[in-house]
Amino acid sequence: MSSSTTNQHILSPGSICGKLTAFLERQTKRDIEPDLDIFAAGLVSSLFALELVVHIESTFDVAIGGPDLRLDNFRTVDRMTELVLRLRGESDD
Amino acid sequence: MTERWSEAAELVAIAVGDRAETWDRTGRIPLETLRELGTKGVLCAQIPQEYGGLGLSSLDNGELTAATGARCSSLRSVLTSQGMAAWTIMRLGSAAQRRTHLAALTGGSLAGVAFSEPQAGSDLSAMSTRISEDGSGLRIDGRKVWITVGAYADLLVVFGRFGDDAAAVLVPTDAPGVRIERVADPLGCRAAGHADVHLDGVRLPRDAVLGGAAMPLGLIATTALTYGRVSVAWGCVGILRSCLAEAARHASSRAQGGAMLSSHQLVRRHLAELTVAEQAATRLCEHVSRCWDARTSDLVMAAVLAKHFAATRAAEGASAAVQVLASAGSRDGHPVARAYRDAKLMELIEGSNEMSQLMLADHALAAWS
Repeated sequence: MSSSTTNQHILSPGSICGKLTAFLERQTKRDIEPDLDIFAAGLVSSLFALELVVHIESTFDVAIGGPDLRLDNFRTVDRMTELVLRLRGESDD
Repeated sequence: MTERWSEAAELVAIAVGDRAETWDRTGRIPLETLRELGTKGVLCAQIPQEYGGLGLSSLDNGELTAATGARCSSLRSVLTSQGMAAWTIMRLGSAAQRRTHLAALTGGSLAGVAFSEPQAGSDLSAMSTRISEDGSGLRIDGRKVWITVGAYADLLVVFGRFGDDAAAVLVPTDAPGVRIERVADPLGCRAAGHADVHLDGVRLPRDAVLGGAAMPLGLIATTALTYGRVSVAWGCVGILRSCLAEAARHASSRAQGGAMLSSHQLVRRHLAELTVAEQAATRLCEHVSRCWDARTSDLVMAAVLAKHFAATRAAEGASAAVQVLASAGSRDGHPVARAYRDAKLMELIEGSNEMSQLMLADHALAAWS
């Protein structure tokens, strides 16, 4: 799936957050605050949940393994940003 | 890459030979045939080589799936199920689970994926199978119906309720409390081993839960089903290729009323529409597979669209092929008779026509309203 993790360039939390917000706003056509629970707000269908996972993986060049596919990691833009930062850090070693 | 899929397709061609009709009429594919294809990695060919698979791209695996579907939709259904089980383990499983179970699935073990329940078919949110903590292990209770490959399977990927969310759990079919009941005389894909599965107090170790944690049901079901939709769509391309070849061969070899069938305009129209259907379905399948290989999020809707188009066109195309062959194709076991029954089932599984239409309409409304 992903042995091609070449995370040379550093992404700041701000730019990850910005890219995620832009994607979500484009897909849902509404403003997304970084702490909005997008699941509780009813913005995430089953299909969109998978689109989101695939989008995060390809945009930030990370592999989201099974144990990380928990709802808590995707509830808000802030949580997703934390997930991306953690996964990019882990793949450096 | 191309060589590897065509080598795999050759293995399928040899395994099927002239036996597809017999498999259909008896409702059985010999277990040793399935295990042999399994050990060669053909049944879940997208699994990377590091796990014992062939490491095919979605595009190459799609061509393999179409080539299989053109010969035998029952065997193609086994590819779909085994591939979906392997993909689910790949996607949801931990590193240790991938190593152990993908080695088994590329080593001759057979697997199916269990979603449907008596009261939860298209509406998976009504799923009632329960995965519960039981001391240091797990306990599974529920009933699954119409599980493809169920009658052949060594392992089932069972979806159920877990905690306040859901999970997929790996259930060996020889575990105490598992009872497999073959579906008698299915309408189509008769040798695909459809079975009902009874799970009564099945006890498993904690590490049978893929990824070890509760996950959103919609997300994990869509993850597995998206693979299944791509595979079914390519399988329907295979059905269309078989129907086109049968109809064109027959029309050019049989005279009726002093003229070849192929000279009759109404027969030629069937051949034209079969050609359009085969080509258009192929293009949609290529598109979704390219999205898959490039990991673009468009793949999720593209899979629904390709599956819906290919399944409905395969059902129409198979009906047209039976029309062209008439009495020559109107007996059980004939390629177009099988296609006619098999294609109808493709309009029901991995999201019925109606469920697919609802998803496509939601997508259109989200984009344009």
